[in-house]
Amino acid sequence: MTPKNNIVIGVIIALLVAASYNIDANPIDFVQGLPNLGIVAEEMLLVEPKYIPTALWAMFETIQMAFIGTIVGVAIALPMSMLAARNLNSKYVYAPIRALLAAIRTFPSILWAILFVIMVGLGPFAGVLAIIMYTIGFVAKLQYESIETIDSDPMDAVSSIGVSKWQLIRYVVIPESASHLLSQMLYMFDYNVRQTSILGLVGAGGIGFYIINYIKFFEYGKAAVFMLVVLAAVLVIDWVSVKIRDKYIIKSQHGMEVRAKSN
Amino acid sequence: MKQIQMTKNLPFSSIATKKIIQMNGVWTSYDSKNFALEGINMSIDRGTNYAIVGQSGSGKSTLLKLMNGMMIPSKGIIKIDYVTPKMNDKKFKKMMHTIGYIPQNLGLVKNSTVIENILIGALPRLGKIQSFLKKFPEDEINEAKKIISQVGLSGKEERKAYMLSGGEKRRVAIARALMQHPSILLADEIVSELDHVTAREIMDLITDAQKRMNLTAIMVHHDMQLALEYANRVAVIKEGQKILEIGVEGDTIVDFQTGDLSTEEIMEMYADDSKK
Ligand SMILES: Nc1ncnc2c1ncn2[C@@H]1O[C@H](COP(=O)(O)OP(=O)(O)OP(=O)(O)O)[C@@H](O)[C@H]1O
Ligand SMILES: [Mg+2]
Repeated sequence: MTPKNNIVIGVIIALLVAASYNIDANPIDFVQGLPNLGIVAEEMLLVEPKYIPTALWAMFETIQMAFIGTIVGVAIALPMSMLAARNLNSKYVYAPIRALLAAIRTFPSILWAILFVIMVGLGPFAGVLAIIMYTIGFVAKLQYESIETIDSDPMDAVSSIGVSKWQLIRYVVIPESASHLLSQMLYMFDYNVRQTSILGLVGAGGIGFYIINYIKFFEYGKAAVFMLVVLAAVLVIDWVSVKIRDKYIIKSQHGMEVRAKSN
Repeated sequence: MKQIQMTKNLPFSSIATKKIIQMNGVWTSYDSKNFALEGINMSIDRGTNYAIVGQSGSGKSTLLKLMNGMMIPSKGIIKIDYVTPKMNDKKFKKMMHTIGYIPQNLGLVKNSTVIENILIGALPRLGKIQSFLKKFPEDEINEAKKIISQVGLSGKEERKAYMLSGGEKRRVAIARALMQHPSILLADEIVSELDHVTAREIMDLITDAQKRMNLTAIMVHHDMQLALEYANRVAVIKEGQKILEIGVEGDTIVDFQTGDLSTEEIMEMYADDSKK
């Protein structure tokens, strides 16, 4: 270890201590609070099964919100990513689009939800709008980055034929980045289901609305039903996306390699 | 192997008179400091099977990129079928439609199928809505299928490009170029990495198409032997300059350059290159 590294580590530790002090984070509080968690856990064990149908219905609503948000968000993000890619546009096109996307990304989904609750009122629609905005900001960025890494060979070869830019996008850019897009859609859907689960906090619909209300009234047993349903749903979605990824994405990216391994 | 006999300064008796490529004192650079090409003069007749040979880094690929308008000279004049290449120029864009270009790495869309890749050559003839929907007219599809069988890929129409062998990929790239109804076919070291037998199969394929369609084939090679075997004319590039241009007529090689080089020097160069 060089002296320079020691200084860096020392500075990081000092900053950590100072920041913890500033935000009033005390490890002792954490240790003393552990028994409280025990009480909550105990009450949660008194799961009230008769709430399962309601919880499932609320989860279904949440998944639908995430689904609409993801699909519409991606549909808007895709053309924006084409405009934001540096290898397809001039500076005058991509620079403003990138700035706009960066601005969209500065808001976390919960802030978008508050904004849309003010705009369209309480309920799932505000939540869907929030998810759409969040999805646009992120998918467009991931997608323009993936477009910029597309092999320049087919791009050059096909543009040397003198095709239009839209033809180039349709016949080279989309096929070459489709597997990335699918992968990002799956990831985003997964993530959006989790996000939508907490949008209920601000009254933007979804299962979080129930969870937050039961917790407010210390009805941990009821809250537990809803939380377990979220957990189960997230696990199922995770499992399904792994399957889809294996079937459509990895194979198209590595082709023969994967087949050789699995035999 | 051909018996090579050198004759100096004999005019090359070409039937075609129309120049399809003309370059006059062409200089070009990638970074405005070093020139990749330094004062190239070149004149290629329509219907020629032309070869460009030279060492790695000599500027062969750069020369091809000038011929399809992907690069613009920093100095000098270039005319392609009497048109000066310009970026975003309607007249030149129309010409690009009929210049088949096979880059050194082929430039296939690897996640698309064989037939999809080949149909890309027909895109300039396709309307906006049709191209958005990927809806090609029946006759284009039939033509693509015909070309697929000509290049020996029958039965592999629906294969993804990334699943093909090196030889098969080259056949797809040739087919895409032929689908353009080209008047010029540019191919950058298309057989360099292949075994001798496959390399000759691919070269035969291109030479057949070149004769049948009376197109001008301009091919970059590493291997002088192969160039002499197939081309009517061979230009040798060294460090960005054309140091030699020879015509091949049957078993005779004719020097086209000013005659600065002696027969011995040419022979020496030929021997050097064929050793590799
Ligand atoms: N994209 C580029 N940017 C900067 N310099 C380049 C670029 N492409 C080529 N060059 C330079 O231009 C010169 C000629 O390169 P070119 O690719 O034309 O050579 P080549 O004869 O085709 O070589 P090879 O046989 O290895 O393909 C080289 O010095 C190379 O370093
Ligand atoms: Mg090259």
